[in-house]
Amino acid sequence: MRESPESLEQRIAGLRSAVRRALAGGDRTAARALRAELRAAEDSWERAVLGGGDPKPVLLPVREQVHHALSLLGVPAAPKLIVAVHDAFFSGELASSRLTSLRRDEERSFRSAPYSRPYYLCAALTADLLAPARGLLVISTWPLPTRIVGPYSPRADFLTSAIRVAEHTLRTGAGGDAVRPLLWRFAANIPGAAGDHPHDADPRRLLTAATAELEVHTGKDTEQRRQAADRARRQLGDVEQLFGARLAAAARAQNGRLP
Amino acid sequence: MTDLAARLDRLRGDAPARNHDARTIAALTTNPGCGRRGLMDAAGIDKDAVARYLGFPAPFGQSQFAIARGNAFEKQVKDDGFAELFTLLRERLGLPVPQVAIESLDEVGGNHGSELRHAQTRRALARALAGDGSTLFDHPLLRLDIAGQPAYLEPDVLAFRLGDKFYVIEIKSFAIIDGQADPEQVAAAARQSAVYVLALRRLLTQLGHPATAVSHEVILVCPENFSNQPAAAFVDVRKQLSVIERQLSRISRIDDLVAALPEEMTFELGDGLASAIRAVEARYAPDCVSSCELAFFCRDEARACGSTDLLGIAVRDDVGGVETLATALGLADGSLAPSPEQVEIAAKLRLARLLRAQALEGVA
Ligand code: SF4
Repeated sequence: MRESPESLEQRIAGLRSAVRRALAGGDRTAARALRAELRAAEDSWERAVLGGGDPKPVLLPVREQVHHALSLLGVPAAPKLIVAVHDAFFSGELASSRLTSLRRDEERSFRSAPYSRPYYLCAALTADLLAPARGLLVISTWPLPTRIVGPYSPRADFLTSAIRVAEHTLRTGAGGDAVRPLLWRFAANIPGAAGDHPHDADPRRLLTAATAELEVHTGKDTEQRRQAADRARRQLGDVEQLFGARLAAAARAQNGRLP
Repeated sequence: MTDLAARLDRLRGDAPARNHDARTIAALTTNPGCGRRGLMDAAGIDKDAVARYLGFPAPFGQSQFAIARGNAFEKQVKDDGFAELFTLLRERLGLPVPQVAIESLDEVGGNHGSELRHAQTRRALARALAGDGSTLFDHPLLRLDIAGQPAYLEPDVLAFRLGDKFYVIEIKSFAIIDGQADPEQVAAAARQSAVYVLALRRLLTQLGHPATAVSHEVILVCPENFSNQPAAAFVDVRKQLSVIERQLSRISRIDDLVAALPEEMTFELGDGLASAIRAVEARYAPDCVSSCELAFFCRDEARACGSTDLLGIAVRDDVGGVETLATALGLADGSLAPSPEQVEIAAKLRLARLLRAQALEGVA
C-alpha cells in the first residue's frame, strides 16, 4: 500500500505551493500543519527511492516486544504493565524509557505511509472527546470499542488483564519468580483473589475472582465503549480513528456541551 | 473591573498576576492578622520575587527529593486503574464493588486551559449529582473567588463520591506509623484540603445542592508503617474551614487597607519597594518562616524595632498592648512606670519575673 515515488513527487509539489499560499495568506497554523505533511512526504520519498526502510530500524524490536505483551493482555495498557508482562513471560529486555517516544514514531510512520505496516501501536481514545488517552497503548488492529476507554474501562481492563495473565500462566505452566509478582499485583487488589499468605497468588483463584468482578462492570463498560465507537466512526477520519482527535476537533466537540 | 480590582492591579504594576493556589490560601490562615500579606496576595504580587529583590530570599518550596517521592507514591496508588485506591476505599469505607468509574479532569482533549478544565469539572460533578456519574474525579479544577478575582486551585486531589456525599482525597507521601502521622504535616495537609473542601462546596452550591453534600472530613492517603502500602486517615477540617472562610471574607474588605495608602504607591520592583512594603502593617510571627515568602524581610524588620511579635502569636497576645521587648522587660523589673492601660499587664509581668527568679533559685 506504499505510495509510488511518482505520486509522492506530485504530492510534494502540491504541498510546497500550498505552504507558500498559506504563508502568503498569513495563516501560520495551516502553514505549520502543511509543512509537517510536506516533511513526512519528503521522508517517504527518500525511503521509497533511496531504500533503507524505516528511518529508525532500532524501533522494530521494541514495537514487536510491546506488540507481544499487548496481544497477551488484549486491552489498553500503560507502559509499566506492558513492561511487567514482558518481563514475566518473554525474553530479552524491554526498558520502559523506550516506550515513551513509541506512539509518536508510529503516528509519524502511519502518516507518511499509511497502512504500510501490518499493525501500529496507538494511544487509546477517550470515550468523551475521542482524544488520545494519556499513557495507554493499544494495537491498531483491535476493534474500535476495545481501543476506546470510558469511565468504567480502567477497572474493567485491569480485571481483563488479570484474567488474561492468569489464563496464560495456566496454559503455559509458566511460574516462578518472574511470574509471581505479576500475579500478586492483580491478586492484591481484587476481592477474593489473594490467598491466606501475603504474596501468595494462585492463578486459578485469580481467574475466578477477576471473572466474578468483571461480570459486575462489563455491561456498562461495553455499552459506553460501543456508543463512543459509533460516534468515532461517524465523526473521525482514518488517521484520527487510530491516533485520536486533534485539539481543535476536541474543542469543537466540547462546544455547546458545556454548561 | 471594580475600582478595587483596578487599584490592586496598579499596586502590582507591570508584573504578571500570580494566582492563588491551595497552599497560598491555606497560608493566609497561618497568620490571619497580617495586612501586608493579605494585601500583596490580593493584588497577585509575586512575593518570592519581592523578597529576592529586597535581598531576603526565602528558602521555600519542597525539596526535589520529597517531590519525587510524593509523585512516585501517588502514581503507585493510581496505577492499574487506581487499583490500590479502590482496594483501600472498599476495605475502609465499604465502597460498593460496582462503583469504579473514574473521570480524569487534568486535561480536556490535550488542552490544559483552566477555564475549559473547570467547565469540564462542573459538568462531571453535575452528572454525578444527577445520579449518573463517576465515583472518582481525578484532578478536578476548582475555583474560588478571592478579592473579586477567580483563583483556580491547582488540583493535587481527588473528589470521591460515596452515596450522596462527596469527599476530598489527598494523597501524601509522609508515613502513618502505628496510626499516627507527623502532626505538623497533617495540619498542613488539613489546611490545604480545607481549601479544596470549600471550593468544592461553592461549586456544589452553584449547581443547586447543599454545601453539606461535601464532607468536612477529608481522606488522607499515606504510606503505612515504612511500607509502601497505602493507608487512609480521616481528618476533620471544620476548624480550618471556618478560619479560611473568615479569612476570605476579610480579604474582600481589603479596600480599607488600600484606602490608607498613598494613591501613587506601587509594589513594583524598584527603589521605593522596601518603603512601600513597610507602609503596610505586618504582624510577624515565627510561623511566618514556614508559610510566607516575606518572612526574612519581616523578621529583620521586627528585630530592628525589638518587637514582641518575634516571640510568636501566643506571647504577643499574652502581653497585649506592649509593643516592644524593651518595654516588657522594663515593666517587669519596675524600671518603667506602666501607663494606665498597662497596669494590669505590668503586674502580670512582675509576677512572672518573680516566679522565674524563684524557679531558678530552686534549681541552683
Ligand atoms: S512574613 Fe511578613 S508579610 Fe508574611 S505573613 Fe509574616 S508578617 Fe505578614
